[in-house]
Amino acid sequence: MKPAAPLLLLLPALALLPLLVLLPGLVHGGGWDLIGQFLLAAVQPSTDPVVLESLLRGLGVTAGMALLGWCASLLIGIAAGLASSRLLWRTLIGHSWPAEGIRRLLAIPRSIHELIWGLLLLQVIGLQPVIAVIAIAIPYGALVARVVSDLLDSLNDRNLQALMAAGTAPPAALLSAMGPPLLPGLISYGGYRLECALRSATLLGVFGLGGLGNELLLTLQSLQFHELWSGLWLLLAVMLSLEAVIGALRRRWGMPGRFSMRAAGVGRRGRELVLAGLLLVPLVFGVGRALAIEPAALLHWQALPPIAPGGWQEALALPWPSLVFNTVLLTLLAAALAVGVAPLLLLLVAPWPLGQRLLQLIWAIGRLWPPPLTALLLLFVFKPGVITAALALGFHNLGILGRLLLEGSEAAGPQRQEALRCSGTGPRLALLYGRFSGLARSYLAYGAYRADVILRETVVVGLVAGTGLGSQLNQSLSAFAFDQLLLLLVAYAALTLLGEDLSDRARQRLLQQ
Amino acid sequence: MSDPGLNASESQPSPVLELRNVTVPGRQLPRLEGIHLRLEAGERVALLGASGAGKSTLLAVANGLLQPTQGEVIWSGERRARSSRARRRQQARIGTLWQDLRLIEELSVQQNLNCGRLASWGWPRAMLNLLLPLESEACAQALRQVDLDPHLLSQSVGELSGGQRQRVAIARLLRQQPQLLLADEPLASLDPRLAQELLQLLLEQATAPRVLLLSLHRPDLLQGFDRVIGLRQGRICWDRPVAQLQTSDLEALYAGIAEPSLAR
Repeated sequence: MKPAAPLLLLLPALALLPLLVLLPGLVHGGGWDLIGQFLLAAVQPSTDPVVLESLLRGLGVTAGMALLGWCASLLIGIAAGLASSRLLWRTLIGHSWPAEGIRRLLAIPRSIHELIWGLLLLQVIGLQPVIAVIAIAIPYGALVARVVSDLLDSLNDRNLQALMAAGTAPPAALLSAMGPPLLPGLISYGGYRLECALRSATLLGVFGLGGLGNELLLTLQSLQFHELWSGLWLLLAVMLSLEAVIGALRRRWGMPGRFSMRAAGVGRRGRELVLAGLLLVPLVFGVGRALAIEPAALLHWQALPPIAPGGWQEALALPWPSLVFNTVLLTLLAAALAVGVAPLLLLLVAPWPLGQRLLQLIWAIGRLWPPPLTALLLLFVFKPGVITAALALGFHNLGILGRLLLEGSEAAGPQRQEALRCSGTGPRLALLYGRFSGLARSYLAYGAYRADVILRETVVVGLVAGTGLGSQLNQSLSAFAFDQLLLLLVAYAALTLLGEDLSDRARQRLLQQ
Repeated sequence: MSDPGLNASESQPSPVLELRNVTVPGRQLPRLEGIHLRLEAGERVALLGASGAGKSTLLAVANGLLQPTQGEVIWSGERRARSSRARRRQQARIGTLWQDLRLIEELSVQQNLNCGRLASWGWPRAMLNLLLPLESEACAQALRQVDLDPHLLSQSVGELSGGQRQRVAIARLLRQQPQLLLADEPLASLDPRLAQELLQLLLEQATAPRVLLLSLHRPDLLQGFDRVIGLRQGRICWDRPVAQLQTSDLEALYAGIAEPSLAR
């Protein structure tokens, strides 16, 4: 008995069953009226000019931090990606071991979430605008590096070999033979990272690093839901515009879609690409000035408090098994919710005339709404814990996966679905059989990658919802217990790298079948 | 949903498919214009015409995929049903063999054959079909009817040869048991021998009360059909028994020398 492709897509939604059983037990007394007020405020956002001005200023800061962090991450990522490419080292020196070493080194910054980088830098440097930029640039740079090296190593090196055989110098041969085919995948992925950077900058703001996130947190904590929604709608408008512009450029420049990160030929309109790159330079400097970014601030480190005697013993005595277990459980639940609920909702709602639009709106809100704020909102009605945190994290990732599923579903073409509809099959079954069959494996493979990201993100909701390593990290940070903090970071990095390895294996297995 | 008004004045059984003055607009010229067509039970009708003549559009109108802007389509005496449930029942009686077959590569042959039954199955059965082999004997019978070995049932469609896929697509139609059998250039990309074999299979299935309407590029494959309809620039050029077909008819169709009003 082996489930067929479309059924595989729905299996993760089974995680809903234990949740539905356990959720009623987590509900506490008050708070429903607050949730009601929050939802009602969505259609009555504040239009007070003072509020709007403050929100717009915050939005500007967030967008600026995102842009700068993104640019820095691309510079770091391309350089580090080339340096960790096996192909590059093999071509230059005949061995690939330096690439292996650099890859392993890059796994460390990649495994630590930008929020942790932000909080650590905050302790070391103090509150500076540059912190958010660096906090985004470090893990994003390492992520871009991995994608660049993977893309480069997966390209066909026939042309490179031909040029080398003709006597071309290795650096020139690499640039000529591998540069053009690498570019479309790199630019497509780079565009996607800009969308992510906007979300990360908002999230960092929630934790006090400035920008709109901070405004959103303050309005939520003071229960000013009308003002909160003004900020949310503004952020939604910016995010959807950004996604639309990136999507349009991706299509115009002939870049591969995001659903499968495979290179799809050489990109078009090289001049426009170069022009866009050149335009970025003054924009970055202008934004840097406007945000008063001082890279020199990074050189002035504050002295950290000394480690208390017996601190290491205390650190080792932390409840590690339960911390790790809760983190893993939170990851699995949130991933199953995000991966499973997206196709389920699409099946249930999409055949309605406005169903798809409604889903797109909910998913867009899920994407932009920082998970810690969802967790705070859920805490109005649910007790803190793994399930509450999983709901918050699941909702955010549902927004990301839902959008990808819809994009993939549209790209799959309507023919098979149409054929089933023409033979009298209902709209939902036609969608399930006709479209989901072809999507299932690539979607689940992306879901495996997303689970790996979710593991990294558990720290974000853990800080708020009081569960897992993230919760302990918050306590250790507040207590300036740097011994505990160091062990927690090691545990996080080890867990993330293990998760990354497992998700890679799952992805390869899914795509090979 | 039966439409009594349509049958009240007629003593003979309703045609399986009737197109009344059907027009489908196009960008410059109409894709179909003023089409009148009646297909009676048991008829085997071929549609001939050059590329872009409107054959696929006519079939899309006949299978309900495309709604004409003018005129009406009547299936066994019923206009297009308004409720979605009745519409699905109506569609279940129309089977289409698509040029690109539209099989689901990721599913097994048996699951694909059972797709022909999805219109009459509820959700639980449809989900079970994705987990367990259902109605194996009926599926095996359908495969035998198209000269395929039932051991193929468990194979993935992606593993089949081109000819086997064509036969599986026909077997899926057999599982559906439609009254109106439409085929959009099913023989276009096949070698002459396979084309002849598959055409024979399709013609064998089209016995009363079933009707076959099949679009073709090649006039040499008309043997076995009762009627042939020539389409040119979205209009019916001529409509006559195969036995009465003249070479001049074909010349008119492909060379464009016929008066478009000839058949009207």
